[in-house]
Amino acid sequence: MGPRDEHTVTQRRRIGLWTLLVMVAFSFVAPMFGARATAAETPPSVGRASGGTATGVREPGVQATDDEADIVVSVVEQQRTDDVTVNKPLPGVKITATGAAGPVTGTTDATGKVTLTVPKQGDYEVVLDTASLPTEVEAGPDSPTTFTVSFSSGVTIGSGAKTVNFFVGDTERAAINRWELLPQTLVNGVKFSLVIAMCAIGLSLIYGTTGLTNFAHGEIVTIGALVTFWLNQGGPELHLLVATPFGVAASALMAGGFESRIWRPLRRRGISLTSMMIVSIGLAIGIRYVYLFFFGGRNRRFRQYVGDPEIDFGPFGVTPRDLGIMAVSSVVVVGVSLFLLRARLGKAIRAVSDNPDLASATGINTNRIILTVWLIGGALAGLGGVMLGAATGTQWDMGNIILLLMFAAITVGGLGNPFGALVGAFVIGMFTELWTWVFPNVVELKTLGALISLVVILLVRPQGFLGRKERIG
Amino acid sequence: MKWDLILSNSFYTAISANAVAYILVASGLNVHFGYTGLLNFGQAGFAAIGAYSLSIPINRFDWPWPLSMLLVVVMAVLLALLLGIPTLRLRADYLAIVTIAVAEIIRLFLNSVRFTWLTGGNDGLQGFTRFMENINPLPADGITLWAQKVDGYRLWLLMIGWLLVAVISTGIWALMRSPWGRVLKSIREDEDAARSLGKNVFAHKMQSLIIGGFIGALGGMWLVLDKQSSQPQDFSTTLTFFCYTIIILGGVASAKGPIVGTMIFLFVIQFVDITLQQATRTTPQDPTPLIPTWIVDQNNFSQIRYIVAGFALATLVIVRPQGIFGDKREQAFDVR
Repeated sequence: MGPRDEHTVTQRRRIGLWTLLVMVAFSFVAPMFGARATAAETPPSVGRASGGTATGVREPGVQATDDEADIVVSVVEQQRTDDVTVNKPLPGVKITATGAAGPVTGTTDATGKVTLTVPKQGDYEVVLDTASLPTEVEAGPDSPTTFTVSFSSGVTIGSGAKTVNFFVGDTERAAINRWELLPQTLVNGVKFSLVIAMCAIGLSLIYGTTGLTNFAHGEIVTIGALVTFWLNQGGPELHLLVATPFGVAASALMAGGFESRIWRPLRRRGISLTSMMIVSIGLAIGIRYVYLFFFGGRNRRFRQYVGDPEIDFGPFGVTPRDLGIMAVSSVVVVGVSLFLLRARLGKAIRAVSDNPDLASATGINTNRIILTVWLIGGALAGLGGVMLGAATGTQWDMGNIILLLMFAAITVGGLGNPFGALVGAFVIGMFTELWTWVFPNVVELKTLGALISLVVILLVRPQGFLGRKERIG
Repeated sequence: MKWDLILSNSFYTAISANAVAYILVASGLNVHFGYTGLLNFGQAGFAAIGAYSLSIPINRFDWPWPLSMLLVVVMAVLLALLLGIPTLRLRADYLAIVTIAVAEIIRLFLNSVRFTWLTGGNDGLQGFTRFMENINPLPADGITLWAQKVDGYRLWLLMIGWLLVAVISTGIWALMRSPWGRVLKSIREDEDAARSLGKNVFAHKMQSLIIGGFIGALGGMWLVLDKQSSQPQDFSTTLTFFCYTIIILGGVASAKGPIVGTMIFLFVIQFVDITLQQATRTTPQDPTPLIPTWIVDQNNFSQIRYIVAGFALATLVIVRPQGIFGDKREQAFDVR
């Protein structure tokens, strides 16, 4: 073994050490928001808080312990016609669970859900209080208002939570024309597309400049939402708009830290892209479960912009929150595009993306450009994460859930082209939401629309919409 | 702390029927990634196909089990063709993204409420293992290995499972020494060179995908036979990535790599998990657990093993990419 080899071994150890350090650093930083986050209360748990007479009262927000379990109740109003069923969540409905340990009462929130926490033993009778239904909604003759839930005494896998769904409403009542639902679907699609685009531009820029397929990008998305959540619901209780910049900064810092501490040393060692991809997978799994460890498995909401009434635009309605998400993300996406097209730094980024060696020969500091790309990409991902958190709730694996959609977006649009990421995000976002319109009975499979479109587009045009032929190999 | 229980359980986990399943899934992946250099991120999809091709016909349509096992083979081959035909001509990362997407499509389908009548949805399917219980010649109450009780059914699965592993591993070893196997390795090293020697690269890649996928499907089958329940959440992409960890641990492109890797991986994971479980446990007599609850408690200790597994994968690839027992010349990381 020559001196050169020994050098590589020390370098290798150093990078390995850094990976471990990142892990340790996380373990210290994460409790800051993790431990408090569990103490914060979220709307879905209103029921437990208002269950004053309940025996199942415990510190709010804490996960159900071994001898307690959650009954997750959701109330929806069904409007059914021949070809389509629309389920509208009903807020403000009183639900009571009566069983071995006295009654626990709760009221549904804006999403029509309420979580009742009860001791895990025996049977519970879950009753919907028909008097608390809105006057125009009636519990139909064939929609039961009482369910029995039983907890077995044996070992249960997972949290052991039980789900109860009440379907109310006059099934004959509303005649809905499917075409009337299309504008709303399209608006939802635009919103989802913009959020994916925000998250995916960074992934695409990073792929373009370094060739790395970064599987840890979802975790960069998540940290933005988690830090924002802690500032908003946990410690300082800042307003969401004030907390967001800190979340964005956290994502940018994490991305920058990855680049300067892990990826740059690995590139210098000449490690192959496949190895780097697998390193990113390992990091992603590790970090994701660090989030779960500290944050818990629940989906939590920010303090503001929950359950606001929709603004009516005629054929569709949009909540102020969603309007804000669409406005901000459109501005950011256009801004980033102009930056890439016009600004000096943006041009340099595209040059490195095109041909790193040539860019380097013309005097561009490639490493600095790549660091910039990570910082910008991280910040965008963080902002996307906060928006996703505002729209669907903050969750430990929210970034991982949309990671595949981000990959699909940049692949469909053309790998390595940031504008391709935009195009791809729109294709993927629209396909996802349109699935719910075409197949309203199989809404839970809506991601399938996006994934199938990915496979089909790759079959027809492997380089993607804006990709170059020579890239496909 | 009951160390005899912890150690015996960890050792048993490393050789259990569950370990056999992981060995098979990882062996299939090793054929793809280790020998051929195919970046397959959808091995969990093959495992899921294997599991459900066994459980759905038996549970829902009362098929005889040999016919069901035949279906496992057919479905695995079909999935390999479906994945391979569009993507094997493209660059490696396209295969990666399409395979991961298809594996997720399969899992989402299995998990969907709409198709519960067929797949059992989130609760999965049970009661399809009766044939295995019926042909089990061992007494049902089983034996005690050290402090670990093993029932007769699991012991029987373990025994024929290891027989299967021996056959498959020897088969892979022999195949890879054959001229056919050398073509696979040459494709991994330099696809264009192999093509210039007149080898049909596409056909060889496809054959590799089929064989590895079939072995992965067998692994998925064993996984649900051991659990006696097939559930979609067992076939998330995490399974694929754990198999990558396993083959890198044991040595890439080595027939014994998945065996060694699985034994180390499952031992470490189970040891960490069960030690933490013991250390966070409280009893009425002793209400304070060994580890203070502000560090780790009953509710979150089980995440530690995934944290360990994830960072182990990252660190291993950086520090020792050829694996603990791997041959440096055989590492497959330079696929295009």
